[in-house]
Amino acid sequence: MTSEVGRRPSPAAQSISGVPLLSRIYGFGSVFGKTMRDSRRAVLLVSVLMGLTLIGVSNAIVSQFDTAEARKELGAVVAAVPPILQGLASKPVNVETLGGYLQYKYGAFFPLIVSLWSILALSATLAAEARRGSLEFVAATAITRRRIALEKLLAHVAGLTIASLVVFLSLAVVGRTVHGLPGDEIPMQAAVGYALWLGLLSLASGALAFALAPFVGRGSAAGVAGAVMFGGFIFNGYQAAIPAIAPLANLSWFGWTSNHIPLAGVYDWATLLPVALVAIVLLVVGVEAFARRDIGATSPIPTPSLPRTLIGLRGPTGRAVGQNLPSTLAWGIGIGLFGVAIAGSGRSFVEQLSNSPDFVRLLSSVFPGFDIGSVGGFLQLLYVEFGLILAGLAAATLVGVWASDETSGRLEFLLATPLSRVRWLTSGWAAILVGVAVFTVIQALGIALGAMIAGGDIATPVIGSLVLGLYAAALAGIGVAIGGLFGTGYAAPAVAVITIVTWFVGVIGPALGLPKAFQDLALTSHYGFTMLGQWDVVGIVASVVIAGGGVAVGAWGFKRRDLRS
Amino acid sequence: MTAIIQTEKLTKSYGAHRGVTDIDLEVNEGEAFGFLGPNGAGKTTTIRVLLDHIRPTGGRALVFGIETTVDPVAIHRRVGYLPGEFTLYDKLTGGQTIEYFANLRGGVDAAYQVDLVKRLDVDPSRKFKEYSKGNKQKIGLIVALQHRPDLLVLDEPTSGLDPLVQQTFYEVIREAKAEGRTIFLSSHILSEVEKTCDRVAIVRDGRLAKVDRVEALRDLAHHQVELRFAGDDVPVGAFAGLPGVSEVTTDGNLLRMRVSGSITPVVREAANYELLDFVSREPSLEETFLAQYGDEAGQAA
Repeated sequence: MTSEVGRRPSPAAQSISGVPLLSRIYGFGSVFGKTMRDSRRAVLLVSVLMGLTLIGVSNAIVSQFDTAEARKELGAVVAAVPPILQGLASKPVNVETLGGYLQYKYGAFFPLIVSLWSILALSATLAAEARRGSLEFVAATAITRRRIALEKLLAHVAGLTIASLVVFLSLAVVGRTVHGLPGDEIPMQAAVGYALWLGLLSLASGALAFALAPFVGRGSAAGVAGAVMFGGFIFNGYQAAIPAIAPLANLSWFGWTSNHIPLAGVYDWATLLPVALVAIVLLVVGVEAFARRDIGATSPIPTPSLPRTLIGLRGPTGRAVGQNLPSTLAWGIGIGLFGVAIAGSGRSFVEQLSNSPDFVRLLSSVFPGFDIGSVGGFLQLLYVEFGLILAGLAAATLVGVWASDETSGRLEFLLATPLSRVRWLTSGWAAILVGVAVFTVIQALGIALGAMIAGGDIATPVIGSLVLGLYAAALAGIGVAIGGLFGTGYAAPAVAVITIVTWFVGVIGPALGLPKAFQDLALTSHYGFTMLGQWDVVGIVASVVIAGGGVAVGAWGFKRRDLRS
Repeated sequence: MTAIIQTEKLTKSYGAHRGVTDIDLEVNEGEAFGFLGPNGAGKTTTIRVLLDHIRPTGGRALVFGIETTVDPVAIHRRVGYLPGEFTLYDKLTGGQTIEYFANLRGGVDAAYQVDLVKRLDVDPSRKFKEYSKGNKQKIGLIVALQHRPDLLVLDEPTSGLDPLVQQTFYEVIREAKAEGRTIFLSSHILSEVEKTCDRVAIVRDGRLAKVDRVEALRDLAHHQVELRFAGDDVPVGAFAGLPGVSEVTTDGNLLRMRVSGSITPVVREAANYELLDFVSREPSLEETFLAQYGDEAGQAA
């Protein structure tokens, strides 16, 4: 039997009871409170974004389709859309009503955005703190590791609950205030059903990252969880068009809940239960793994090392290229596989389209002057829209790698050598462009392979897919300019935000009735229909000018400012 | 004498926050110069201005006679720099990191590079992220030293190094000095400065409090001595008159005093009495030098 010798009352234990309740909930009074405080901006951003979008889009739908005839026409158009084009939307149920159309066109995207936040937050909440060392201090206090993990987790769940509540309230407001046609009412049950579905799907994605992070580290956990989430979303969306992937779709929470379409008045509450159970199991695994494993001891997923010649030790450009290469290859292969899948299903698209003459007529009126029933037309509609977002995020990644020289403190060393500031910046920019070129070529190979499988013209879509590189180069120019002017720490987030805002403007700008001049600010609206061989010179010139001008502005700014330490 | 580093009314402020104010320094060729001060005093700010990593808001700094903001690359060609806090490429090995910086510089003596790796006892085949804090510091030192720079700028260079490696580091610094190179070293550690430097500057609250030869520091060195006598009779007079003894106080059978210079007279006198305890403590750098120069800095401010 052992006994504690000479123990005195702990002053810390006495004083902790004096911590005000408010600061334990939000502030520095507890791990929970601090985590809530740390995540306040993200919670606010996600909640406001979701809430305002739902209210704005609902108003726009009601005013755009304000007669029974317009709704009937809308229903007919949606019914004519072949399954292969329905992939990224929800199931078309009761689309003549406000709720049904809201769910169909926008409902499937919101869980992606909230899930992405959940993955980033839950993969980092413990792993990133362990990596930077602050967790050593927290774990050395009188709080158990299990409690630390639980408090951090609960703080995220609280944030997610707030976001879901805002979504619920926004739908409730829409249901009460937006008076369109009969059937446009959104009942409380539908609002609850959608908010709960959104919250649970997001929690499940985040929980996977949370469970993996103690084992494989933050980056790998976020990567795996992100791949599972996007994979599940895409497999679920395309299972009707490509039955071969249905078994994979049924492995994901998107597949399990595919018949829960609450805003359209179709409920499948029972399918939410397995999602909740999986989330709980994964969260318990994450908490226990953190409690039992060594802090910060992870076994990253093994990746092949670069050959020595590609590491880039001869100079700053080579080094920057070497640093970028793993991300470049990962993005290139990822987008390339997406290209193979989409381009490879072109034949099936063309066949289905031939059975939907109404839809062909509709598309021809929207995109006059080219053959929409070609592989190129299909790729323009499906590959380029989604591919531009991926290319933007790839550019953000490459800009982030470049920025890490300064954000990590390496630049202190580098600029103490005869390397000038301008040369460092231009070398990094050149390396980003090399990275962009590499992933553009890889994704173009994917398109070529897919087009070969589908048959027909290969050269046009391959050349057309180069638009992704053009867009990424322009965004890289913006990132380098921001990094040079204000600090490289702002560069990658700015590129990611511009990518997402541009996508939002493109997707919901027309529905929100945003001014044409504002919608024209989106660079993506100026490239033409590249997969069909129709290039808009304005987009090409603008991209080149932004890419080149960005580095000039960045170099000018960086010569004048202090290094951020 | 040629001034390698020269600052004139050098001032750097970060908005409302103080950086350094009106720093006037001159470091001569072949000199080892210590830069001392408590945390947040402005040591690193000064160093970063010297390297043009940050720009002065007032005054100017010259290194090798070149104004830092005018041609920093010309300065960097001749400088070896070890930052106080740094990280390098996690995915490169220590050897690859050293090689990369050698390539950036050009003209590195490969034999000297290998010698440094051997003497600092670092395994160059491990990835940087796998190194302990001390081994990361060794890699940083090799990067700073390998091209035999004319000026070494070292910010807390022995932080994290074990005592044996510290000795090797001091040897390397002495060799550099013997070769006529200039060393600018920021440190908290008195013994480090004593071992390596000719002159020291003390900075406090962003202002230069004192610049003096290192011998002056030694003169300031003193011990706090405590003698606990077996009986209640404490011979205050016998100790108060000894050379170097001051601030003599008693507390029961305990006698406390401050001893400047040699402690031998106190030890000899103490041997004449029956003692329960004899404690001699060397005060910290901050206690000694800031107690001495803090007021001057305050007045200057």
